[in-house]
Amino acid sequence: MTMVRIPTVCPYCGAGCGFFVEVEKGRATGIAYMPGHPVSEGSLCSKGNAALEILCHQERLKSPLKRKAEGWAEISWDEAAEMVARGMGETIKNDGPGKVALLASSKCTNEENYLIEKLARLLGTPHIDNCARLCHAPSVVGLNRTLGAAGMTNPIPDIADSQCIFIIGSNLAENHPIISRWIHRARDRGAVVIVADPRETHTSWMADQFLQLAPGTDVALLNGMAQVIIEEGLIDEDYIAERTRGFEELSASLKGLSIERTAQITGVPKEDIVRAARSYASSPASTILYSMGITQHTTGTDNVQAVSNLALICGQIGSPGTGVMPLRGQNNVQGACDMGALAEFYPGYRRADDPGTIEFFTSAWGAAALPAGPGLTATEMIGAAASGDIKAMYIVGEDPANSEPSSLRVKRALESLDFLVVQDIFMTATAQLADVVLPGAVWAEKEGSFTNTERRVQWSSKAVDPPGCALSDLEIVCIVGRSLGLDFSYPDAASVLAEINRTVPQYAGITRERLGEGGLVWPCPSPDHPGTPILHTTGFRLPDGRAQIVPVPYRPAAEGPGGDYPLVLTTGRVAVHHNAGSMTRRSASLISREPELFVEINTADAQRLRIADGDMVIVTTARGEAQASARLTERVKRGVVFMPFHFPGTNILTTEAADPEARIPEFKVSACKITRRG
Amino acid sequence: MTVYVDINRCIGCRSCEVACQRVHGGSGHVRVSFVEGLASVPIFCHHCEEAFCAAACFSGALHKEGDRTAFDVDKCTGCGLCALACPFGVVWTEKIAHKCDLCWGRTEPACVATCPANALSTDGEPPSRQSQVRAGRAGASGCLR
Repeated sequence: MTMVRIPTVCPYCGAGCGFFVEVEKGRATGIAYMPGHPVSEGSLCSKGNAALEILCHQERLKSPLKRKAEGWAEISWDEAAEMVARGMGETIKNDGPGKVALLASSKCTNEENYLIEKLARLLGTPHIDNCARLCHAPSVVGLNRTLGAAGMTNPIPDIADSQCIFIIGSNLAENHPIISRWIHRARDRGAVVIVADPRETHTSWMADQFLQLAPGTDVALLNGMAQVIIEEGLIDEDYIAERTRGFEELSASLKGLSIERTAQITGVPKEDIVRAARSYASSPASTILYSMGITQHTTGTDNVQAVSNLALICGQIGSPGTGVMPLRGQNNVQGACDMGALAEFYPGYRRADDPGTIEFFTSAWGAAALPAGPGLTATEMIGAAASGDIKAMYIVGEDPANSEPSSLRVKRALESLDFLVVQDIFMTATAQLADVVLPGAVWAEKEGSFTNTERRVQWSSKAVDPPGCALSDLEIVCIVGRSLGLDFSYPDAASVLAEINRTVPQYAGITRERLGEGGLVWPCPSPDHPGTPILHTTGFRLPDGRAQIVPVPYRPAAEGPGGDYPLVLTTGRVAVHHNAGSMTRRSASLISREPELFVEINTADAQRLRIADGDMVIVTTARGEAQASARLTERVKRGVVFMPFHFPGTNILTTEAADPEARIPEFKVSACKITRRG
Repeated sequence: MTVYVDINRCIGCRSCEVACQRVHGGSGHVRVSFVEGLASVPIFCHHCEEAFCAAACFSGALHKEGDRTAFDVDKCTGCGLCALACPFGVVWTEKIAHKCDLCWGRTEPACVATCPANALSTDGEPPSRQSQVRAGRAGASGCLR
């Protein structure tokens, strides 16, 4: 019996680890590690090790389904295509294409995301987005403005060359465990690690300095550090003079700030702020790693810009071991954004409100007309569905009914749609609300390219067929496109990538033939270009090649504790689960290790509320209530409670208050109260 | 072969647990132990030089083979004496005895290969941190207290 090993890219987080799927007689029988992989070096986290449990899961959707009064009926692909064409087509005909919205999937390949956004725009609707809106939309907005490119500036292995690693708002030890191996390597060489987080996490175990700031006070901390650096003359004057603009404005904006006030706002002792600022500014190579603790705020864009400011005034961008590193949560959320599955951007971050963009794609796609943006964002689509401004939606590989804030409101909104088609691998909470459900494929059942958090584009090969009548998402999008009268006749992913090479400049040289072991890092503008692991080495893609320093005043979070809701709820993740949990909650070896929703409460708060460890409690916010088991801990400070968002309860509670620019909801700060279940 | 643990590097991600379970047909032999949410360490068979489990095993199922405490499944009666004898609680019986077999037949134990943080190794020389750290820190920022 012959066994073959098929190289694939892990379907979970954005680290982009590689592993082989072992296939015998058309069935996936095992996983083999990939020691030659540039990021993971053969290692794999708990989720990666459990990936086959999803591939072979009995609850996988195997046939298109239509809603009936008494449940679901299996239907043929022909009937499904006809229903989608009728449902979407009628809305477009009667109400106009602007009443239709699409959500692309950061779990799908670049080629699939490209086709989904193309489908939306050829149908005439600007309303296309993906779940980057819920994780790194502020990075896209903020970093494009300050640095001229929205992505990690340096590759993951480059972290090992850093002398000071500042991790703010990221629990990467649990969420991107592979990155910790590179941090350890830097520590072995003597690097200092600083972690800022409202919660003591597994990541803070690696820290030499731990700054436990109050949720939502990141701008205050970052501004405070910048002020110390400026006052103590630790800035990189040459770098500021040659590579940036806006320093004077920043300096002026920080003038009146007192370190005592910063310490008071953030809850971090002033000595610690000063020490962290000195460490970061004076090391020969410092890097900042951040994640959703920075972005998921009403001040998300400000937070990102404050991170940029710190790096720019210290000259810590553009060389090995430095950088601004947004860690992305989904295996292809970087790619989905690159491919233009965003309300404000066409492929390659061409602005949707720029007539030049519309002209370019009208010609490239041979379209009669294309909609100018920005369209509605993922969160705004939900509001528009509730108000009737959106009447039909096509949601691919996303579960907004669990992943969006204030989820009871989301469910009501999706229920009010005239027509909802959901394409997924499981019957998710969102799929439960659909009129038609289309069964898609998981990573190893299709081929295509994925772009990881460090902009590395990797080809993942097909190991096995999808179950039953399920099809690759590329085939399904083509079926839907053709049923709506579009010329979507792409035979395979490679043919779509060839079109991406022509329309996305950053991917121009990333051809199928060149995507071998290790892939290529964009920007890769021509077929003989080696890729660009480190950005901004000679300047920035902004006017005069200069980065933009943007002063950002501190604003408190939208919701503060007080009155009926005296505690601050912050959310995050645990090592053995992933995002909304539709995969990991079905994975036996993962769910057995973290089986239920819990809430971490400081022991002193718990005693006051007469709550013991393990008690079932009710957590209530203005949006609703959820049940969780209490974990008494010193990991969160008094007044702060933490819940992981992998279980449906958590996002019932979170606020839909959003960043005014990037429109990301403030998942990280909600006022709540907790009572023991009576 | 011996598996060494560098507690300084363990991040409590439980990859070793899931990998071990994966390559042993759903029954893992590693347990990551957490100390009040402040540290973690994977616990598994130490393959003791003087293995109490092997001494207690009257059928000879558990026995020493060089450095390894080996297990002959055909001889196991499932009596459970090994579980009682092990001072570390890393042998247990579920019909038959279960414990780390160092992934016999694989080139490297799965827990070592999979560990994202390089906390597990077979070479016994985890990067000695202290000396390098002090020198490095001094260079990185003279201002650290």
